[in-house]
Amino acid sequence: METRSDAPTKSRALPMARSMCWHCQSEVTGEYLCGQCVKVQPLSKELDYFACFQLPRHLNVDEQQLERTFYELSRTFHPDFYSTKDDTEQTISLGNSAFLNTAYRTLKDPIQRAEYLIRLEAGAVKDIRSNPPGDLFEEILELQEDVETYQDMVQQGPSPESEQLREKLQQERIHLEERQAAMESALREKFHDWDRLQSEAEASNRHREEKTMVLREMQEILSNRTYVRSILTDLVETIGN
Amino acid sequence: MAYSDKVVDHYNNPRNVGSFKKEEEGVGTGIVGAPECGDVMKLQIKVENETIVDAKFKTFGCGSAIASSSLATEWLKGKSVQDAQKIKNTDIVQELNLPPVKIHCSVLAEDAIKAALGDYQKKAEEKKIGKEGAATGS
Repeated sequence: METRSDAPTKSRALPMARSMCWHCQSEVTGEYLCGQCVKVQPLSKELDYFACFQLPRHLNVDEQQLERTFYELSRTFHPDFYSTKDDTEQTISLGNSAFLNTAYRTLKDPIQRAEYLIRLEAGAVKDIRSNPPGDLFEEILELQEDVETYQDMVQQGPSPESEQLREKLQQERIHLEERQAAMESALREKFHDWDRLQSEAEASNRHREEKTMVLREMQEILSNRTYVRSILTDLVETIGN
Repeated sequence: MAYSDKVVDHYNNPRNVGSFKKEEEGVGTGIVGAPECGDVMKLQIKVENETIVDAKFKTFGCGSAIASSSLATEWLKGKSVQDAQKIKNTDIVQELNLPPVKIHCSVLAEDAIKAALGDYQKKAEEKKIGKEGAATGS
């Protein structure tokens, strides 16, 4: 696991919804507990998941670090600790916890993390729609036909033909799983490209174009993966494990 | 979420399932996918004298996607190529009573129609050029 120089420090400064404590009206600048009255403060609606964990918008994430931060913040916001507090504090802790859980779930999974990052960055990148993979579509439709044929055969009762087709589908399944794995490692490769571009302090057009390109490529891999996964799910449901 | 009766009907009795040979004369093929859900739709038209005489589809996807493409093929049959261009996804939404979460299925069907028409026109264009080329002896 790579170490990061910009690792979050102990004193956190999260973007909060307000600059003033909802309770005692004293100024709060990024503390999630008011410095004066120690009441919990609501997280900003604009807070993105990376910022919530005080991570740069990189795709290779130190998962241990992520987990540690999650536990730390969970302890701060968990509704259990607010059961004796007033309604407002309970509501805030519930809202913050829910946000935190979603953020953690999203960032923990590399695929969801990439999808989320693309969504976040998509504002800067119009029309990120990828090229339709024609060959893949044809393959999927053919495979689906085989799946349907097999389903019909099984209804008639097992036969040598249905066994043969099952064998074929089993092979296809292995093939698709390999393909999905290959897509995922291709995506991981792009993570490095993205992170490299993100850590370069450059604002040229060329740099922006490069970033857009990487986002597009990732989007394309993710789309293709969705197609493969979708037919794979059907296949597994049909032939069983 | 319950499907409308029309969706269920198209799902249980899909019209015009199948395919034409892509290379066949007058056949236009559109094959599109929705990257959000992994649905794939293939829609083909057979054109004679600028009229769609037959249409077929194959869809891998949910009930609404199947119903949208099934309905599309029904509508396409007998229409002129020009009129076919006018089919909008909103017409499909209305006819099938699709809920908001399933609107993308109708968009996919419209995309498939457009792609099939585009493919047909491209093929027709290429054929024309080919003939002209042969006529001038080049």
